[in-house]
Amino acid sequence: VTFLELRKELLALFSLGVEDPLPDSDFNRLALEVFRFQCLENPGYRGFVARRGADPDALSRWQDIPFLPARAFKSAPLVSGSPLEVERVFRTSGTTGGREARGEHYVRDLALYRASLLPNFQAHLLPGVESVPILCLLPSPEDAPDSSLSFMLGEVMDAFGAVGTWGPPGNATPAPEEGVGGSSVQEGGGFYVHPTTGIEVQGFKEALQRAVAHQVPVLLAGTAFAFVQWLELARNGAWWVRLPEGSRIMETGGYKGRVRALAREDLYRGLTEAFGVPAYRIVSEYGMTELLSQFYEPVLTLDGQTGDLGEDGVGGHGDPGWDQGRRHHGAGPVAGRFHRGPPWVRSRIVDPLTLGEVPDGTPGLLAHMDLANLGSVSGVLTEDLGRRVPGGFQLVGRSQGAEPRGCSLAMEDFLHALGEGP
Amino acid sequence: MSHLRAWHLPRGFVLADLELATLHDSSQRSLKHPMLGDEGIRELMTALRRAREESLVGLPVARVLGAVDRVARRLLDSGDSLRRTALTDLGPHAGLSNAMAEAILDRMAHDWTGERLKGLLESEFPDPLVLDGFRPGPGGGMLRALGPPLTFHLGAGTVPGVSVTSLVRALLVKSSVLLKPGRDDVVLPMVFARGLEEEDPVLSESVAVVYWPGAGGAQSEAAIRGADLVVAYGGDETIRWVLERLPPATPLRAYRHRMGVGLLGRAALGKEARASAAAASRAVAMFDQRGCVSPHVLFVEEGGETGPREWAALLAGALKDLEASLPAGPLPPEQGAALQQLRGWAELEEGAGRGAVYHGGPEAAWTVDFRPQGRLEPSCLARTVRVIPVGDVADALAALQGWKPYLQSVGVAGLEDRHEEVAESLALLGASRITPLETMPWPPPWWHHDGEGPLRALVRWTDVEPGI
Repeated sequence: VTFLELRKELLALFSLGVEDPLPDSDFNRLALEVFRFQCLENPGYRGFVARRGADPDALSRWQDIPFLPARAFKSAPLVSGSPLEVERVFRTSGTTGGREARGEHYVRDLALYRASLLPNFQAHLLPGVESVPILCLLPSPEDAPDSSLSFMLGEVMDAFGAVGTWGPPGNATPAPEEGVGGSSVQEGGGFYVHPTTGIEVQGFKEALQRAVAHQVPVLLAGTAFAFVQWLELARNGAWWVRLPEGSRIMETGGYKGRVRALAREDLYRGLTEAFGVPAYRIVSEYGMTELLSQFYEPVLTLDGQTGDLGEDGVGGHGDPGWDQGRRHHGAGPVAGRFHRGPPWVRSRIVDPLTLGEVPDGTPGLLAHMDLANLGSVSGVLTEDLGRRVPGGFQLVGRSQGAEPRGCSLAMEDFLHALGEGP
Repeated sequence: MSHLRAWHLPRGFVLADLELATLHDSSQRSLKHPMLGDEGIRELMTALRRAREESLVGLPVARVLGAVDRVARRLLDSGDSLRRTALTDLGPHAGLSNAMAEAILDRMAHDWTGERLKGLLESEFPDPLVLDGFRPGPGGGMLRALGPPLTFHLGAGTVPGVSVTSLVRALLVKSSVLLKPGRDDVVLPMVFARGLEEEDPVLSESVAVVYWPGAGGAQSEAAIRGADLVVAYGGDETIRWVLERLPPATPLRAYRHRMGVGLLGRAALGKEARASAAAASRAVAMFDQRGCVSPHVLFVEEGGETGPREWAALLAGALKDLEASLPAGPLPPEQGAALQQLRGWAELEEGAGRGAVYHGGPEAAWTVDFRPQGRLEPSCLARTVRVIPVGDVADALAALQGWKPYLQSVGVAGLEDRHEEVAESLALLGASRITPLETMPWPPPWWHHDGEGPLRALVRWTDVEPGI
């Protein structure tokens, strides 16, 4: 099977959207075809597969594919095909893993990335919404050409960002009545982080004020890191807004519960305070440079018949895990939440030593088979811990009461001492 | 598994309404610990202070040494119930194999015996009786040394026994002890405190061992504020936290996270290559590499009979063999996460002709990452070590510059007549211990722990000048 044939089939699959699951046998067939294609066309991965003792032609279950640890993207350009055909190279931020080279994802075909990210984003952030002003606490794709996250939001902006101008805040121009999705909504979005100077405070404030003045719901998107910075700025300046109802936030990176970062619950409380967006309209995105598909929490799903967003953002479309997620809302803003991927991604949760599947509910390493990664490596073993729950998986941060083991040095301290830490 | 009782309070101390909580973790280890609250901690500290004033300060150091020695001997005696209790819980609760737990108990308890402690006292004080009263000092004067009334020990919860050693040091200088062991080091302090109560009930009035979750929190804060001296083990984050709460007049003895390295000269790569690989494998494997004395990186000199890559393969073989005699404990998921990333990356590197990697696959976590021009980086532990070939040991010394704030134990082999100049360079780099690879895991009680005398770091001196 050639790249073009597989690409065509995958594009057709992605165009069906994310709501209908792919039958196991269909996924298995496609996954094995993609895997065999990659073994043929990707010498680095082929070597890894051979070393792990797998015979590509003999495998019959996608679960038995050797999953390549994400750190391997720091070793070699893992292109399935000719490196000359690569359209873009995305790079990891390079803080984790020490002073090692940054991980590089050579992307053969941006069309596959686009086709995977848009329907999934829309289903989880903009269900039933055609366009909305999008404010990103991220550098723009032009400023950060090797950031896959900036690229993604750039594509989202092109596809769903409302265009036009509102004029200055407080302008007497009447606010559009239609709200989210209305065709006359005027643009107020953009990217508000500069790669070297950080958050563009004035521009971001003005955009928020415009949304409030015109009562236009917006989508805020950013990294947990940037949001934490903004919360500090907002607190110090006693500056907060109450964004119009229907506004929502996409947050990424807050799931890790890193030592120096804010607990996710506290982050969400802070976001609610700073932007007036309730926690049930804050969606966590889980993604990585090495994967062209993303995972989202299904908290903002379309509310049944009406096409409106339900007051509490509850979706009722039969997602088996959804009720569980909702029931636990009382326990905290994020208790019981989980992430799910699109139908063209399946995840395994594996034992950290044997790499065999762990029982449902037991924490293990997350390994993803992402068919959108056709041009590189689809089976990727992450460094993230998660547990399987109905409907998807929950990311597991450092557990309560668990102290880091070893009085030998922690990597974070080490990097910190060298001035390279987060 | 039963819930381990994670507190030992002085006999006379009764807390009204002692509330208990149970802490579980994913590997079914669970601890029952009291919810003392900051008020409870303060009451407990008052009782400990009183015990020190009323008895401990007047007990001869020989009596302390004798009591500790008796407990140590019971811990070494295979027929004794104290040892049996220790070994029942130690492995499972520390996340170590039983064989490892036993090896650790044997070495640790050996260092708490009278003979070893006498060695410690004599190394620290020309006349250890300064701990009991005034003794003749220089110039015709007199000297007295005393530990603070009450020390709070915040354990790191990593290598079992480390917090008992901390407790013993304090008792030798007549200091009452409040010990909060770390999560993985609860068993030995509990057993030790029980043994002490049986061997010397009066002395044991000055000892309390209480676990509570996390290094931070209201209880830790109350303990830090109420102590006369704080001994804290932990990462930079923990130490920072302690410092922010430490009253200005309270001294802190902080044992930060450290890293060990190994240096192998050509002479260790001849006939001794297999033996040096075996010694290195034990240094890596002991404590499943959680010790501050555990090596993360081994520098191996080129030009010996066995090349560094070949030697790395020997090391891998030795680590594999150790899985039989000294098996690894269950792999903590966070370490496994990092380990798998390292293995995958290193396999790709090897495929591209850079370096080599040997590992235990799905059976065992041990991993040897042979990496020419490899950087120094902390290992993900669980018996994972990087082998870096160097043209000369001097190249390793240059590379170690980057580790200056963290360098601690350096295990060496095959340096021949270069050992003095190498030792001098390592001293300048801040290493506090240079030792044969064989003994790397086991510093003697009198080692200047991270560069300080373990007892002298605790005492204050009173000088009486002649003619009063």
